[in-house]
Amino acid sequence: MRHRVLIAALALTTLGVGAALADDDCEAPMADWQPRDAVKQMAESKGWTVRRIKIDDGCYEITGRDAKGDDIEAKVHPATLAIVEMESEGGDDDDDEDDDEDGDEDGNAGNSSLVAPDSQSAAPLTSPAPRNPLLNGNSPPSAVVQ
Amino acid sequence: MTKFAAALALVAALGLPALAEAREVTFTTKLKQYGGPGAYIALYVTDGNGQYQGTLWMAGGKSKYYRHLGDWKRATQGDLREIDGITGASVGSGRTLTVKLDLADALIDAGYQIRIDAAVENMGDSPGEIVAPLTSSAAGQPVAGRGYVESFSYSM
Repeated sequence: MRHRVLIAALALTTLGVGAALADDDCEAPMADWQPRDAVKQMAESKGWTVRRIKIDDGCYEITGRDAKGDDIEAKVHPATLAIVEMESEGGDDDDDEDDDEDGDEDGNAGNSSLVAPDSQSAAPLTSPAPRNPLLNGNSPPSAVVQ
Repeated sequence: MTKFAAALALVAALGLPALAEAREVTFTTKLKQYGGPGAYIALYVTDGNGQYQGTLWMAGGKSKYYRHLGDWKRATQGDLREIDGITGASVGSGRTLTVKLDLADALIDAGYQIRIDAAVENMGDSPGEIVAPLTSSAAGQPVAGRGYVESFSYSM
């Protein structure tokens, strides 16, 4: 009886982990994964300069620069090579390398992955005017962290 | 001269109402010394029923973490077009984020609310950190957050 309870608990735990993993961005059996060279080729066909390809959340993640020279981070489905998520930071010269496996670029392992590299900066951060109905589009918002 | 006067009248007719439709508002969010990494903060507007109207600022640059801003994520489905051009760095412990923008006049004293969702890695998410009325009488009145925000206020 005790064994049955243990097995049930184990099954529930495994299901729970499965549910948590289901939240990941990409799901593809390893057999369907395209090689890194195919990812690099896809990126270069778009005019990107690849700095690094790593695996994150079950997807390939490409860091590099796009054809305009802006820093990019693209999450790519490992089987279809479709772009799942794309971030671009124009004129960002910081080093996006992240070797600490915590998903950020702060260089710290563990609990810092929500920290942007310039979060301690007091310099004004201005952005191009958004098409936002709440705002007067003639003057972009500005933000300062002090 | 007549043409000049006509042009001037046209500029006044077209330009002045546009200026009158927006008001410069400064939102100040001071964080507690919570002793963790930088906080992601979404500053956005809802109507009186909590219906999402739009985002004013997103502090935190990595979109993969926006899902931790739960109410904002639910309202926007995480659509990055909502924050196109209005993102900046995350805000460190004990620091103050000051956002200055020209807000549509129609949102002020019209039953709208300003809201903040906040999240810190490994320290938990705080949706609905701040819910404050967007009114000229509430301007300048500091509001305490329920998690990471020590005080929030705006001036106009």
